[in-house]
Amino acid sequence: MTVDHSIRAETDTLAAALRQFEVERFYTDEAALLDAHRYHEWVQLFSDDTHYFMPIRRTRLRRELDKEFTKPGEIAYFDDTKPILLGRVAKLATGTAWAEDPPSRTRHFVTNVRIEEDRGDELEVSSNFILYRTRLKSEETTWAGSRRDLLRRHEGSFLIARRHILLEQTVLLSQNLSNFF
Amino acid sequence: MAIAAEKLQQLVSLDRGEIDRSIFSDSEIFEQEITSIFGRSWLFLCHESQIAKAGDFFEAPMGRDNVLVVRQKDGGIKGLLNTCAHRGNAVCRAEEGNVKNFMCTYHGWTYDLAGKLIGVPGLQELYHNELDLAAHGLREVAQLDTYRGFVFATADRDAPPLAEFLGRTGRAGLEMIAGQGEMEVVPGIQKFVIPCNWKFAVDNLFDWYHPQITHLSALQAGLVPAPTDPRGRQMSATGVAGPDGAELELMGGVANEDTPDQIVFLDVFGHALAGPTVETMGNLDGAVDHSWRDTPRAREALGPMARRAVGHTNIFPTLWIAPEIRQVSLRVPRGPELTEIWWFTFVPREAGPQERAMTIQAAIHVFGPAGALEQEDGENWTQSTIQTRGTASRMIPQALKMNLGRGKIVDDDGQDPPYIECGINEHGQLWTFASWMAWLSGCGWDELRNRTTPPDVI
Ligand code: FES
Ligand SMILES: [Fe+2]
Repeated sequence: MTVDHSIRAETDTLAAALRQFEVERFYTDEAALLDAHRYHEWVQLFSDDTHYFMPIRRTRLRRELDKEFTKPGEIAYFDDTKPILLGRVAKLATGTAWAEDPPSRTRHFVTNVRIEEDRGDELEVSSNFILYRTRLKSEETTWAGSRRDLLRRHEGSFLIARRHILLEQTVLLSQNLSNFF
Repeated sequence: MAIAAEKLQQLVSLDRGEIDRSIFSDSEIFEQEITSIFGRSWLFLCHESQIAKAGDFFEAPMGRDNVLVVRQKDGGIKGLLNTCAHRGNAVCRAEEGNVKNFMCTYHGWTYDLAGKLIGVPGLQELYHNELDLAAHGLREVAQLDTYRGFVFATADRDAPPLAEFLGRTGRAGLEMIAGQGEMEVVPGIQKFVIPCNWKFAVDNLFDWYHPQITHLSALQAGLVPAPTDPRGRQMSATGVAGPDGAELELMGGVANEDTPDQIVFLDVFGHALAGPTVETMGNLDGAVDHSWRDTPRAREALGPMARRAVGHTNIFPTLWIAPEIRQVSLRVPRGPELTEIWWFTFVPREAGPQERAMTIQAAIHVFGPAGALEQEDGENWTQSTIQTRGTASRMIPQALKMNLGRGKIVDDDGQDPPYIECGINEHGQLWTFASWMAWLSGCGWDELRNRTTPPDVI
């Protein structure tokens, strides 16, 4: 009996480790695409019904913390469907998107990946990120935050069916958001 | 110490259409702006709908002062300086919310919604009941008033009443939002920081010359519909080529040299509007709804030119009004080379889900830090600011010479502000700087009104 138990526990752990590896490998590959400015390939990682959303965060008292973030249907920084994401990528490819020419130098770090729920075909995943950006001679920005993703299993990998990006900043300490998170 | 009058006079030339670059980074000038402009002017704080219930508050900047705009129990609105009468600590550290009181977290002095000091720890034991509570309330702004739901305040007791300060241009600009319905602010004020001088961020709202180049990528990618010339003409762009030598293909074409397709308002205290006529802009494939311009309310409140003007208004110094997208934006000066941008979005209370969604989507995807247009703006202003520092560079005057001397200003003393019918121009920018110079001189309100009364020609 005990042997059975420990084998099952070991199998579960191995399955969880494998799943963790799959998700983390997906995220590091995704980050590599962004940092290499391979936006056409990056945007293909999103499902057609995706929702790419970055709400506005507000400094509120602890007793009103439920109102810290704006919700879909209110004002946000990003509130994108797949066609809008494709439009952003098309804009970057025009050769006249001056905010990214010369391109920003970016480095994405994705950590603390936690699979919150596994429904078989879909996974709720939270992660932390740091996006470091430097532009031209003197501009430097660091954004830290978390992402709440819905990952959908697809052809041995995943599609991002939802990404909510929660920045730590309230007043954005940058002149724009011309990069992806 | 005030800047000498002779030096001030040399900073802006209306005749030559030139401005001295140093005004975009000189710290002495910035300090004088804080006192002479932001310490006296009426400044937009927020919209009434943001503080609907008693105890609702919104913190807004007035120069370097932080003001709590607070809805009172009797329905009124007060503007209270967010600083404790004891040792000056901020009495509220959230940007918005709802409270019953403001309690200072340093020693616990507590103020009611009207700013009255109602609680002091040890009032009896330590102050022996001798502290004059009435004299130690939160300080109020000198004047606070609203116009069509927009809340403004000034730190100057001598400032003229708000409606008079706004002039015909400011009142028309606010009406262009307020007249679209029972307007309310959609939750979520976008706030971000651009390392540029605030005046670059302000004067750009009159600039209908830059979109076809600055925002070319957004037009090419189809994220923003390109305005076309009603007669199908194209602006000449011979010799305009990228670093690879390839000539740029312009998407816009609004450039009639003989037919006026733009309307400009120039007004007292430096208020102005500039931009295309409603016929020129069209409805951009259904993206813009102009129907409000023909309502009885609009006919009553706006003159015929204002109903045809699709341009952006600046209520001097820093309130940008963009009616076509139902937004207003504040350009908040934080330092000579640092400006905060705040975007407020409006929707009619009675709007259905589809209209509401369209307004919100447009607000997020056009302006704002991730918007298809405004992503590109910041870097132009930042780099323009940086290049005012160089010993040699700052000696080169900036040129605002487009259509200079061709702007005939008509003031028929009707409802319409003093207006110009013309092609794309730099009149709004130049007027802003000419008025700015008058403000900076620190002259009294009557003289300021005189000095900012538009000439016959610009
Ligand atoms: S500083 Fe506010 S109570 Fe002392
Ligand atoms: Fe712009």
